[in-house]
Amino acid sequence: MSKINAPKSNREFIEACVKSGDAVRIKQEVDWENEAGAIVRRACELGAAAPFMEKIKDYPGFSYFGAPLSTYRRMAISLGMDPASSLPDIGKEYLKRTNSEPIAPVLVDRKDAPCKENILLGADVDLCKLPVPLVHDGDGGRYVGTWHAVITKHPERGDVNWGMYRQMMFDGRTMSGAVFPFSDLGKQLSEYYLPRGEAAPFATAIGLSPLAAMAACAPSPIPEPELVGMLSGEPARLVKCETNDLEVPADAEIIIEGVICPDYKVEEGPFGEYTGYRTSPRDFRVTFRVDCITYRNNATMTISNMGVPQDEGQLLRSFSLGLELEKLLRSQGIPITGVYMHPRSTHHMMIVGVKATYAGIAQQIAQLAFGSKLGPWFHMVMVVDDQTDIYNWDEVYHAFCTRCHPVNGIHVYKNTTGTPLYPYATPHERKYSIGSKVLFDCLWPVDWDKTNDVPTLVSFKNVYPKDIQERVLANWTTYGYPQVK
Amino acid sequence: MNQWEVFVMDMSELAEGKDIELSIRTLNPGLQKYTYKRVKAQVSSAPDKFADQLQVRLGRGQLSPAKYSIKVIEEIQRIPAKYL
Repeated sequence: MSKINAPKSNREFIEACVKSGDAVRIKQEVDWENEAGAIVRRACELGAAAPFMEKIKDYPGFSYFGAPLSTYRRMAISLGMDPASSLPDIGKEYLKRTNSEPIAPVLVDRKDAPCKENILLGADVDLCKLPVPLVHDGDGGRYVGTWHAVITKHPERGDVNWGMYRQMMFDGRTMSGAVFPFSDLGKQLSEYYLPRGEAAPFATAIGLSPLAAMAACAPSPIPEPELVGMLSGEPARLVKCETNDLEVPADAEIIIEGVICPDYKVEEGPFGEYTGYRTSPRDFRVTFRVDCITYRNNATMTISNMGVPQDEGQLLRSFSLGLELEKLLRSQGIPITGVYMHPRSTHHMMIVGVKATYAGIAQQIAQLAFGSKLGPWFHMVMVVDDQTDIYNWDEVYHAFCTRCHPVNGIHVYKNTTGTPLYPYATPHERKYSIGSKVLFDCLWPVDWDKTNDVPTLVSFKNVYPKDIQERVLANWTTYGYPQVK
Repeated sequence: MNQWEVFVMDMSELAEGKDIELSIRTLNPGLQKYTYKRVKAQVSSAPDKFADQLQVRLGRGQLSPAKYSIKVIEEIQRIPAKYL
């Protein structure tokens, strides 16, 4: 693999984004109460540069970096690519790197770990010493973790999990978080810790390198520390925690250590969510007790402000979820041309292009996708043929509206796994994470005669002889039209 | 006088004339703003009955126009001793 020049830390990433015009330095003081959140939200809705807020009210020495990966340009920068790279090219690069050999992390000495520059233990531990923002007015609390990794390790199997489970500050020593029962951490708590009544060690890392954050967000089966290495082309630098045996990114801005209390829950939420709504109400959720806080000098807290598209909750999650589903389908030998989740679908619709060579292929795709570990995160699959550009919504929408038979092409799957965050779900379904799914099969049936039954697509590219097309293209400006870019 | 806020799914959770348990968050200015306490308290829909003010939000953060007052009787420690 050629040398990858990706930012190794949140700080390098901010510098790269400022240099390319993809981040803006805000020098004036910003209030942690709503103002910072409102700036990030507006930047997301405008697709504007990421705000790097250098002065925070009440918290001298700290800063905020908002909307870190809410554009494909910043995603390209995070991968060390040209910011102008196209989405398909970014996707190809992600697949190439994540199909490469795993790169194990390295453990560094604590003196070489910037995250250890300041250490709060015992009576000094107080989350209020961090500039925890009130992201949206009306949120249930100030959210510590909106763009971060909650790090845990299975006590028997030893597998490490980094997940982006939102965390609310309940009091100076307590956080509460949304951990769904089907998630890796949710299963670990219900299968191991809860029956034993044991506390589960955790560490929350905030202000990660963008690729570490991407790994924590990606639904990949590859352990996140190795995935970071594969994405960045070199080993992730980890360091031991102060109060438990977990290993955390040495270059992170802030580390919060403690234990999850599996049999004790406190209130969490509501919170603005990736669907663009506050759907899941205030409820009793997983409790995190804090034993230690470490942080870099002049630490930068990262903020993702989820709401209507598009923020990284939709953009990055759509990107990685779609590509992991593509890997799954290819691993099963399905002749797909690609998988795409449009961020504006809030990663609820999986669009798949396929060469339909046998009957039932759309149902096979849907059943594999819905039945996978990734299935709870989306509820629509749309399958189009290999001639349809899955990245072109105009083409996909045309295929959907013209080829999907209202009776034969729509398949509903009931009583599947869902999430409490689905806005359309009934209160009962939300409470018990019950879902339902739908497949839109937009393929011409394979038992139709290709000559006499399948309609002919009437388009410039499809119905005119090649020499006519070339003549028209060559003379286009001569006809009086402006040049087409 | 302190300012507090409570989240309820239904206004009936704010029963008057008796001691009730609530999780309330402080709205007093400062670094602790929006942190919670679990308390035993009495509440009233009369804004002036008790010295402290209580603002009410519903389950998805909607601000209620109702203005309550509250008397905090005692703080309750819910967390199991093994986690302290």
